[in-house]
Amino acid sequence: MAVDESYRTYSHPVYDFMMKVPGLDVMTTTVDKLLSFGSEASLWIFPVATSCCGIEFMALAASRVDADRMGAIVRGSPRHSDVMIVAGTITVKMAPRVKKLWDQMPEPKWAIAVGSCAISGDFYRNIYSVVPGIDTFIPVDVYVPGCPPNPEAMMHGLIRLQEKIRASANGRDVNREARPEAVHHQRLPRLPILGDPARTSELDRQQVASAASLGWWDELNLEQALDSVAKDLADESESEPKV
Amino acid sequence: MKLLGAENSEEVQKLLIEQFEAMENSLGGPPVVAVVRHLELAKKLRDEYQYRIFGFVVAAHYPAPAKDANGVGELIRVSYGLRSVGKGTKLATWQVCIPVDGAIPTLVPLFAGADWQEREQFDLVGVRFDGHPDPRRLMLSEDWQGHPLRKDYAIDTKVHPWR
Ligand code: SF4
Repeated sequence: MAVDESYRTYSHPVYDFMMKVPGLDVMTTTVDKLLSFGSEASLWIFPVATSCCGIEFMALAASRVDADRMGAIVRGSPRHSDVMIVAGTITVKMAPRVKKLWDQMPEPKWAIAVGSCAISGDFYRNIYSVVPGIDTFIPVDVYVPGCPPNPEAMMHGLIRLQEKIRASANGRDVNREARPEAVHHQRLPRLPILGDPARTSELDRQQVASAASLGWWDELNLEQALDSVAKDLADESESEPKV
Repeated sequence: MKLLGAENSEEVQKLLIEQFEAMENSLGGPPVVAVVRHLELAKKLRDEYQYRIFGFVVAAHYPAPAKDANGVGELIRVSYGLRSVGKGTKLATWQVCIPVDGAIPTLVPLFAGADWQEREQFDLVGVRFDGHPDPRRLMLSEDWQGHPLRKDYAIDTKVHPWR
């Protein structure tokens, strides 16, 4: 069966031109363009597949979705790879290892965060052992949301990364930034049980107010909830704050 | 609900209550044995009753006295389970209560399989096992502060820059 080249899923000015002109084996271009074509068409993946997203990631490399057709093959060594795909929950114990592997990858390198866990910690965000998003310790280029994102979405993420590489070769500023300041925003509401003595009353008040403004508080007794918060506040002003 | 202690066979239940003076568990779990007789009990079950496989050790932290716990303060309840081999596999369970800063004799000399399970309980709940050959953390990193499955562990305890 002949391969129909018009169904290619990605394009590049150099590649497009070469495909259009029959018999064109050699052409001249700027070095930057050529190098960016080289980088984006041979994105070798270093997988950090730690949990359920990793299973979908395997489908990305398998024959149905087949990331190989755009030159993205999975390698087992960080020294051979261009892009680190973090698919899955990263724990506090795993994070230093991921960082170490990232530091071992040669430049130029990129990172893709696949799935809510890698992006923000997902619903494990407040668990003692889970890192709330990998961008707290490595710079991320592309975020692929979903729980898990399907393999096509990951493919889309790779294509977006190719666009980014091309744009940066054209002189556009698309460089990622590490988010060290994200560390300062890690304090989040505790488990949402009203009247839990471990909670701060300020958080109670904010949560009740925001829930009331969303309008899904109907089935619960808003008056009672606000009363309990007011009582907590009164208690706290009498004694030392607990937290 | 079938309680864990209900799995004990009659002879084991009799042994626990008559020879080892096990008390009834106020929370409805397996019978509670005194810490000092714990090792002796495990040895007897292994050598005389053929309970030769280490099933589990599970610890739980109780921050305040339960409603009917006869004035016991904050404590850690450690449940043990041993399995017998051969026809009609059976389970023998009992519980030991220790204060939060107390220690419990290790079962590693009797059952090699107790090694990692006791390390896990030490790691997450903070039970000290006296005489354990390798009392390191099992799951969390070595520099972790505190024991996260204790009820008084603050959820936002900072252990690393990103947590
Ligand atoms: S984002 Fe969802 S599917 Fe992916 S690792 Fe987390 S829990 Fe699993």
